[in-house]
Amino acid sequence: MAGAFLAKLRHPSRGGARPDRVSFFLPFLIIALALGALAWRSYTLSVKMERGVSQLAGQYAGYAAENTALRVDAAVAAETVRVAEEWQQMEKRIPEPTFNTLRDWVAQHDWILSAAYIPDYDPASTIFASEVTSPSKARAKISREFFTSTGAVKYEYDPRRLLDSLQSAVRQQPFVRTPGTFGIQRQADVALVAIPAASGAGLHKIDDGFAFTSRLAAPLHSFGIRAVVRTEYVGGSGWENQRTMSLWMSLLALVLTGIGGVLAFRGLSKETETMKLRGALIANVSHELRTPLSMIRLGAETLKRGKLKDHERQGIQDQILHEVLLLSHLVENVLDVARIQNRSTKALAFTPVGPRDLIRTLVSTYESWIRSKGFTVAMQLDETIEDQMWDRDSVSRALLNLIDNAIKYSGDDDRAINVILRRTEEHIVIEVQDRGVGIDSNDLTKIFDPYYRAKFSDTTTRRGAGLGLTLVQQILESHGGRVEVDSVPGTGSTFRLMFPRGLSGAPAEVPALRTREAF
Amino acid sequence: MFQSISRITLIALVAAAAVLADEPKCSATARECDQLIRQMLSGRRFLGVTIEERPGGLVVKAITANSPAERAGFATGDRLIALNDKPLTKSTAKEFKQLVAAARETGRLRIIIYRRGAYKVFEPRLEPYTKEQIDKIVAAHLSQSHTTTAGAQ
Repeated sequence: MAGAFLAKLRHPSRGGARPDRVSFFLPFLIIALALGALAWRSYTLSVKMERGVSQLAGQYAGYAAENTALRVDAAVAAETVRVAEEWQQMEKRIPEPTFNTLRDWVAQHDWILSAAYIPDYDPASTIFASEVTSPSKARAKISREFFTSTGAVKYEYDPRRLLDSLQSAVRQQPFVRTPGTFGIQRQADVALVAIPAASGAGLHKIDDGFAFTSRLAAPLHSFGIRAVVRTEYVGGSGWENQRTMSLWMSLLALVLTGIGGVLAFRGLSKETETMKLRGALIANVSHELRTPLSMIRLGAETLKRGKLKDHERQGIQDQILHEVLLLSHLVENVLDVARIQNRSTKALAFTPVGPRDLIRTLVSTYESWIRSKGFTVAMQLDETIEDQMWDRDSVSRALLNLIDNAIKYSGDDDRAINVILRRTEEHIVIEVQDRGVGIDSNDLTKIFDPYYRAKFSDTTTRRGAGLGLTLVQQILESHGGRVEVDSVPGTGSTFRLMFPRGLSGAPAEVPALRTREAF
Repeated sequence: MFQSISRITLIALVAAAAVLADEPKCSATARECDQLIRQMLSGRRFLGVTIEERPGGLVVKAITANSPAERAGFATGDRLIALNDKPLTKSTAKEFKQLVAAARETGRLRIIIYRRGAYKVFEPRLEPYTKEQIDKIVAAHLSQSHTTTAGAQ
C-alpha cells in the first residue's frame, strides 16, 4: 500500500493521461497533515504557555500578598511595642500616673479608643480614659494588655484605624517584579481587605487574572492582604485568547490549502481536458486525411490501370476532385484555427463585401457537392443589405463550415437547408437552419471548444476534426460579432452568424483562443 | 453703651467658663464609660502584691490590704523563687505579671518564696474585683472626666 503510494510519488502521471485524484491530492494531503501537526503543536504550546503564565501570575499574587501581610504584621507588632514603650517612658517620669497622663497617652494614638491603668499596689485605684476626640463607637474593638513595672495597662483599639495608620507598609511593593513581557502586569495591586471569618483567604481566579488573599496574624485575622495580578492570557475570550487564536489560524490555513488544492485541481483538469482533445484531434485529423487519401489512391490506381469507359473515368475524376476539395477544406480549417490561435501576423483583409453575393457564390461553388449529398439549399436573402467590411475568405469559410455541419449532422428524412440573410437593429445575420439531429443541451456550451465533438459524433459516420465551430466563432469574434445557436434535439439546429452592422474597419485585435495554449 | 459692653463681657466670660469646664471629658456618655470599665475589668483577677526588681531576683515590695496576697501570708521583702513550677530567679517583674495573668482562668497559684533563710510555699487564689472596688473605679473616672454629665446622671 505504502509502496504503491511511493511509486506514485516517484512516477507521477505524465501529461496527456488524466492524473488520478489520489496522486494529485497527495501533496495537498501532506501539506494539510503538516499544517495540522503545526496547529496541534501551536495549540498545545499556547495551552502550556497559558498554564505557565497562570501559574506565574498566581504565584506572584501569592508572593505579593504573603509578603505584604508579613510586613503589615511586623508593622503592627512594632506599633504595639512602641505605644507600650511610650507608656513606660511616661511612667518613669511620673511614678504614679494620673487620669490626665493616661488620657494624653490615649489621645496621642488615634487608633487607641480607651485604656485602663491598673496599678499593682491597689486594683481599686485603677484609672480609666477613653478617647476624647472621636466617637468611641468603633466597628470592631480588640483589647490588648501590657505590663509595666508598676502595674498593667489594658487598652482597646480599632484595628481598622491601626491598619490605616500603617498604610505605607501595604503600599510598599515587593522588590521582585515580573518581567512584564509575558502578558503579566508589572506590579501586583495590593490592598487591605476585611475577610469574612469562614472563608476568603487563598488563591482565587478572577475575570482577568489571579487574586491571592492572605490573612494577617491574630488578633487582626479578620483582615487580610489581597494581591491581584492581571494577565492577558487568562479570561480573554474569543479572539483575545491565544488558544482560540491558534485554532482559528490553523483552520484558516487548512481552508486556504483546501481552496488551493481545488483550484489547482480544476486548472489541471482543464489542462488534461485540452490534452485529451488534442489527442482526439490528431486521431480525427489522421482519420480525416486517410479516408480521402485512400479514395484518391484507389481512383488514381484505377485510372492508371486504364481500360475504362469515359463515364467511368469521368466519375473517378469527379470523385478524386471531390476528395481533394474535402482535403483542402480540412487542411484550411486546421491552418486557420492555428493561425488565429497563434495571432498570426497575417491579418484578415477587410474589404467591402456584398453579403448576398458572398452567399450566392459560395452556394453555387459547392452546389454539386451539396446536391451529391442529397441536400437542397433554400436561400432567403434580404436584397437591401448593403456591402459590409468583411474578410471575404473567412466569412465564406464560416458559412461553409456551417453548411458542412448541417449536412454532416442531418437526419435521413428531411435534407433541406435554409440559408437566411436578414438584418436586425444592430446586426447583419446569416442564419443556417437544418432539420438534422440537433444538439443536446449539455453539449451546447461546449461545441465551440476546440477539438470538442458532441457525444454522438463517432468518427466513422460523421467525419470532422472538431475544429469547424471553433473556427466559426473565432472568425465572428474577429469581426466583432458572435455566433448564436438554437437547437432542439431531433428537430434541427439554427446557427446564426451575428455581424455588427456598419462594420467599417478591422477590430483592433484578433481575440485569442480561450484555452491556455494554442496547439 | 455701657450696658452693651457689660453684656458682651458677660457673654465672653460665660463662654470661657464653658470652655474651661469642658476640658477633661470623655466623648462617650457616662453610662457608656461605666459599661466600658465594668467590661474591661470583668475578667480580671488580682493578687495584691507590688513587685520590685532587685539584683538577685524579684522581691515583694508592698502588699495590698485585704487582698489574696495578704491572706496567703506574703510579707514585704519575700524573694520570689518560682511560680507554678516556673523559676522566677532570673525573671523580670513583667514576666512575673504575665505568668500571673496566664493563670487567670483557674485562679490557682503556687508560689515558692524565700524568707530569712527558708523557703515557703504559698497557694493563693486570684480573686475577682469586688463590687465596691469596681464602683470606686467607676466613680473615680466619672468624677475626673464627666464633671458635667455626672451630675446629669
